[in-house]
Amino acid sequence: MGIFENIISPAALDSLIKFGIDVGIILIKIVVVLGVALLHVAYATYFERKVIGHMQVRLGPMRVGPHGLLQPFADGLKLFFKEDVMPSEADKPVFYLSPIIFMAAAMTSLSFIPYTGNFMIADVNVGLLFLFAMSGLGVYGIFMSGWSSNSKYAFIGGLRSTAQVISYEIAMGLSLVGVMIMAGSLNLSDIVKAQENSTFGIFAIPQIIGFIVFVIAAVAETNRTPFDLPEAESELVAGYFTEYSGFRFALFFLGEYIGMLIMASLCTICFLGGWTIPWYITKILPFLSYVPGIVWFLIKVYAFIFFYYWIRATVPRYRYDQLMGIGWKILIPVALANILVTGLVKILW
Amino acid sequence: MNFKQAVREIIKRVTFIEILKGMALTLSRMFSRAVTIQYPKERRKIAPGFRGLHALARHPITREPKCVGCGLCATICPSQCIKITRANGKVEGYEIEVLRCIYCGFCVEACPYGAIAMTENYEYSDYSRQALLMTKDKLLANWDKYMAGEKGKEYFKKFWRPMSEDMGTPVNQAKGRGNAS
Repeated sequence: MGIFENIISPAALDSLIKFGIDVGIILIKIVVVLGVALLHVAYATYFERKVIGHMQVRLGPMRVGPHGLLQPFADGLKLFFKEDVMPSEADKPVFYLSPIIFMAAAMTSLSFIPYTGNFMIADVNVGLLFLFAMSGLGVYGIFMSGWSSNSKYAFIGGLRSTAQVISYEIAMGLSLVGVMIMAGSLNLSDIVKAQENSTFGIFAIPQIIGFIVFVIAAVAETNRTPFDLPEAESELVAGYFTEYSGFRFALFFLGEYIGMLIMASLCTICFLGGWTIPWYITKILPFLSYVPGIVWFLIKVYAFIFFYYWIRATVPRYRYDQLMGIGWKILIPVALANILVTGLVKILW
Repeated sequence: MNFKQAVREIIKRVTFIEILKGMALTLSRMFSRAVTIQYPKERRKIAPGFRGLHALARHPITREPKCVGCGLCATICPSQCIKITRANGKVEGYEIEVLRCIYCGFCVEACPYGAIAMTENYEYSDYSRQALLMTKDKLLANWDKYMAGEKGKEYFKKFWRPMSEDMGTPVNQAKGRGNAS
């Protein structure tokens, strides 16, 4: 210790050690969240194929492992060992960068989500805004990939996706303003706590209009059916990532599925009460309060993800002008009216 | 459009009733049994009289093909995939291009001697055209493989009325004329 005292005072050393421990804890949390998220993506694809298969009266993957349970690993291995093809006319630096931007934006969002009352990587006071910002940044990845591929399909896909995500981000943001007014905070954990103490237990009941607008906008925001025009197979091959193969394609895929996970988590936190369950349910069935919060969180998230798949198996794709019409002419006015009513109720009560 | 219809239309739009109906359907289908099967592991039952790969019938006693080379099958074949060559009054070559065959079964129907049959084999994909050109030897081997014994004997009676039974002189009118089979 004697040597250190000349360089650093004991108090400073103490705080340095504390800082080191904090950093270590955050690193461990990041590893846990990333590991779980990657595993989630692997099995989300399996879950999706199974659900859609059974809805179409098929079986889905059955070959690799019992009931195809190892299919995600087979797919992953295949993607890793595939040739990384690059169009000769492509804008190389941008082409390399765009999947990384897309995936990094999606993964960064994971760190602001409160999974339970005390497990989150960053408890930021503007968490909700940060999630919006990150999903907005993801658009850059999409647009840059479409531009740099130097292919008409990728380009049109990128344009469509950019226009769509930007338009629906407005509707989604406006639909969440009602939640912000009711909770009086942008901090995601505070929003959950506000729901726990509210009359209905979840915001989905008083904010039913905002909830519906959010669900529609969330499906459009992640470019999923029926709003999957950016990757409309019959017109655009695969949309903005047409020219990507192998590992880079996997990055886009990962980003898309993590985007779905984030939208599902956002819906869970803002409308379905996050890791809590409404007080009237625990009143009727008191033993449910012993179930850990992460279980409720995951049940709600996977129910929403199941809803994504369910919609995909049911509804055909919208036409592009219908898509824009729904976004600008219906969802945004409805969301604005919802804000007005919520604000009035908040003032008058 | 009167007022009532307009109200109904608005309710329909606002409640997404049609989408909800569709979603109820897909959800109910999710819990029904899948209609697909795991093909190489499970196979569908082949219906009796299935028209698969061809075979040339072998006479049970002489072990020679029953085919006399009359050419009726080649004539009736809509895709003209049967080629017969004869030498010294015997059938020398009998070739079927199965890639061109449409499996109508006219050749079996046309044959007065019950010399060509269709087996229940439908899994004979291969890499070359040559491998799928069925020569006389291959067709005879098919018979031995799929139609040997009782099966081959019953086949024509069960699924094809041989023309000899319809067109031949009734047995009680002309004694001594044998049954073609």
